[in-house]
Amino acid sequence: MMQFTHTAPPPPPLHPNGHGLGLGLYLDVGATRGGGGARPWSSSSSTTTLGGSGYFPSSAAASKISLGNLNSTGCMEQLLVHCANAIEANDATLTQQILWVLNNIAPADGDSNQRLTAAFLCALVSRASRTGACKAVTAAVADAVESAALHVHRFTAVELASFIDLTPWHRFGYTAANAAIVEAVEGFPVVHIVDLSTTHCMQIPTLIDMLAGRAEGPPILRLTVADVAPSAPPPALDMPYEELGAKLVNFARSRNMSMDFRVVPTSPADALTSLVDQLRVQQLVSDGGEALVVNCHMLLHTVPDETAGSVSLTTAQPPVSLRTMLLKSLRALDPTLVVVVDEDADFTAGDVVGRLRAAFNFLWIPYDAVDTFLLKGSEQRRWYEAEVGWKVENVLAQEGVERVERQEDRARWGQRMRAAGFRAAAFGEEAAGEVKAMLNDHAAGWGMKREDDDLVLTWKGHNVVFASAWAPS
Amino acid sequence: MEVETSSGTAERGAGAGAQQQPPPQPQPQPPAKKKRALPGMPDPDAEVIALSPKTLLATNRFVCEICNKGFQRDQNLQLHRRGHNLPWKLRQRSGKEVRKRVYVCPEPTCVHHDPSRALGDLTGIKKHFCRKHGEKKWKCDKCSKKYAVQSDWKAHTKTCGSREYRCDCGTLFSRRDSFITHRAFCDALAEESAKARAAPPPPADEDGTSASAGAPPPQAPLPPPAPVPAPAPPPPPAAAPAPAAQPEQRDRDAALDQFATPAPPPVTAPPPPPVAAPNDCVSSSSSGVAPTSQSLLSSMFAPPSVAQAPQYADPIGVGAGGHQERAVPAKPPALCLAPNASSSLFTAPVPADRQQFAPPPPPSPSPHMSATALLQKAAQMGATSSSSSFLRCLGLDMSSSSSAPPSSSGQQQQHHHHHHQETMQVPLPASSLPEWPPRLQPEPSPMLSSGLGLGLPYDATGGPVSLPELMMGQSTLFSAKPATLDFLGLGVSPTGASTSRGFPTFIQPIGGAVSLAGSATVAAETFGAAHGGQANPWERNPSSSPIL
Repeated sequence: MMQFTHTAPPPPPLHPNGHGLGLGLYLDVGATRGGGGARPWSSSSSTTTLGGSGYFPSSAAASKISLGNLNSTGCMEQLLVHCANAIEANDATLTQQILWVLNNIAPADGDSNQRLTAAFLCALVSRASRTGACKAVTAAVADAVESAALHVHRFTAVELASFIDLTPWHRFGYTAANAAIVEAVEGFPVVHIVDLSTTHCMQIPTLIDMLAGRAEGPPILRLTVADVAPSAPPPALDMPYEELGAKLVNFARSRNMSMDFRVVPTSPADALTSLVDQLRVQQLVSDGGEALVVNCHMLLHTVPDETAGSVSLTTAQPPVSLRTMLLKSLRALDPTLVVVVDEDADFTAGDVVGRLRAAFNFLWIPYDAVDTFLLKGSEQRRWYEAEVGWKVENVLAQEGVERVERQEDRARWGQRMRAAGFRAAAFGEEAAGEVKAMLNDHAAGWGMKREDDDLVLTWKGHNVVFASAWAPS
Repeated sequence: MEVETSSGTAERGAGAGAQQQPPPQPQPQPPAKKKRALPGMPDPDAEVIALSPKTLLATNRFVCEICNKGFQRDQNLQLHRRGHNLPWKLRQRSGKEVRKRVYVCPEPTCVHHDPSRALGDLTGIKKHFCRKHGEKKWKCDKCSKKYAVQSDWKAHTKTCGSREYRCDCGTLFSRRDSFITHRAFCDALAEESAKARAAPPPPADEDGTSASAGAPPPQAPLPPPAPVPAPAPPPPPAAAPAPAAQPEQRDRDAALDQFATPAPPPVTAPPPPPVAAPNDCVSSSSSGVAPTSQSLLSSMFAPPSVAQAPQYADPIGVGAGGHQERAVPAKPPALCLAPNASSSLFTAPVPADRQQFAPPPPPSPSPHMSATALLQKAAQMGATSSSSSFLRCLGLDMSSSSSAPPSSSGQQQQHHHHHHQETMQVPLPASSLPEWPPRLQPEPSPMLSSGLGLGLPYDATGGPVSLPELMMGQSTLFSAKPATLDFLGLGVSPTGASTSRGFPTFIQPIGGAVSLAGSATVAAETFGAAHGGQANPWERNPSSSPIL
């Protein structure tokens, strides 16, 4: 900007009113022409982008260039797709052009579509800098990614609890799963919950509360948590699991429930093998009076699917994906119940353009919904959008095991579960009722519907998250 | 409270006054709770009364023989009889002659069955018995919570769904789930539990019975245990459940008591509500950090908002970098992609840019910015590697002017992994400084828009401009004026002395590409589909307003 023409550091210019957000593109041509003397930012007409330079015949009007329908979502998607294509084609020039246009029509503080596009733009830049014509910089990029990881907010447990509480995105799954679990473990004196979740046990307190209040008295609760720390998607927790577990045990004690907490470090990249092995050993010594529940909350999709390659266990069998392998090994544990909660989207396309389209047509929802529960500029909102941004970046820019956002839609998970030897266990009226009651706490755009035996969270009618319950068939 | 106060109160506790006095309730404030005496430590001289469960559960056991109306208390019946012109008698208080009475719970397994733990008033023992040993027959329609005492239920239903849960840390919750989740992880619970384990375990009353049946602290804010003068109390109001007066507190407290250990909770300064900005997120950076999350890529095109950057060797890195780790990628200095190429052109269009100068909202160490950081990294690498790279297109024409050895920037990078602004500042060629202020030539405005590679028709009304037009440019605007072409840097070698026109090399690739016929064609092809985009059947409303 024109402050570069000054040798003395100018005071930080204040433009209280000059953002022009959501109105398309404002070209601050005035600032480019201003010359050494004028300081556009100090003029009172901060609403226009023109700095009062006399070179323009129609000053204010000419300085505002609205890109009008560039702001439509379809257009933005097209631009992003073209950009992705250009990157894939190693067409640096075209990439650069489109990035520039996108940058101007999609300020990261714009409306929800613009913020959505900005996140995708960011992800594409990330991808561009590590592929094709820019491969030379891969090493530097790796460095940058590492340091970027430092900037993911690390929540305290209490912080995370209130953060997750803002939206039904996770609460929907919690509520539905808890209802199904409590119903399934009725009468069991010992309940073993295996929590495969990305949200650090935030579901567990309410489950403890429900189990503690059940008619036949509280069961003995055993909780096994998968710690997938290095590759875990956000949110990140600023607390070791041991400490978190101690709090949960203490809470259970306050509800007169005895509880046992265990953490198993494991990795989705090897299909949670270490965890499954431990469970297998425990099953061997179990006397059968224990209900084993596997609660899969948004973590299963981080296990590589077929598009990430397959493994051959034996030469006799065809190779299977790690995802299939995991489900089969879970089935072998003969669990009382398996709950699968995940986002109803498909990010497994092999080509980046396919993933881009899928992600763009799903991840608009968090941006669209956020206005109903977080103020612009709030800290939590930055955390929230950073989390979505992380997801976009992972889907678009990462490959191989680094790409952990490998969501599949509800129908596909249903096929997988059935193929692994499970049958659907329908959610009862009680579960549906509790979900509905929970949704009453949130914005009117959220809804719930039943599809087959599953419950589906919707935003303005679009599927967001599904919850399904499975028992061995 | 009768237990600890004067005999006058004791008498009320023993007689009808017990009804008149609001039954001791769980205290709304945790600190108050702490001072509460353990429930059921009566005066050893008091008369111990054991009532049968039937009596305790009986309601309206005083029946009018005329109209069969029942009353919970004899005094009320007497008043009622007055209306029938029947003989009536209000018991007169006779001062100190009446012994204080305490009541034991008929349930043998209950701690309050022992006279040493008897409760001080009739209402208290009744409610205790109902809550603790009775059937919970009152169910809330909204949340399915059940109550044994009707007044508890009434109080609950009044506040069900509203703010009724309060953690000891001071945070209020309107939803039970939220409260429970918070409670499990809140330090307040841990502290309480620790105390509870340290203290002798008093009876654990899940529903707060122990609290309400016991003696409230003298300094209880409510109800005020005003010692009523002994003689002739006014006729007590008919069985009005006193707790209704404070339904919210009562209920909230009931909720609390489910979790609160019976031991006095610790008096700790309530931690700040968890939602409040945690300290560890507050960066001390003072220059507009947060807003940068907004124009994430403006960095690519906009010179750093810290205008003095070129003049100072390391304005941020040295001056402020030390304590800005978290926010660094988001910082305007980090946007210093090619400072010497500070294209005035590219700065201009992004209004969001200016937000960077706005008074800084809290910093936003947004991962979004990592892409910018990536670009910067890429820029560095690009400067030292192939000049035909993608980065070159970003205007990083470092080869022409870079006087800083790449190795130095590499070192810097090692030392400051997230001080991108530093790494970016370091390679600044000192030689570029004199040329720093771009010598801007007055240009007719249409050329400007062409120069932006957009060739936009000016449209003050903000009317729609289709993309192909955008990218292709209006031919008149784009090609008619040689000045425009020149402005775009056509014919100037990408690495060459574009600065001769006062425009940085930075912009050349764009302008050149777009204005060149060949490139324009590419653009047209590429963006042709944008037409279809307008007819996109996507049903989402782009306006994105909350639909509440």
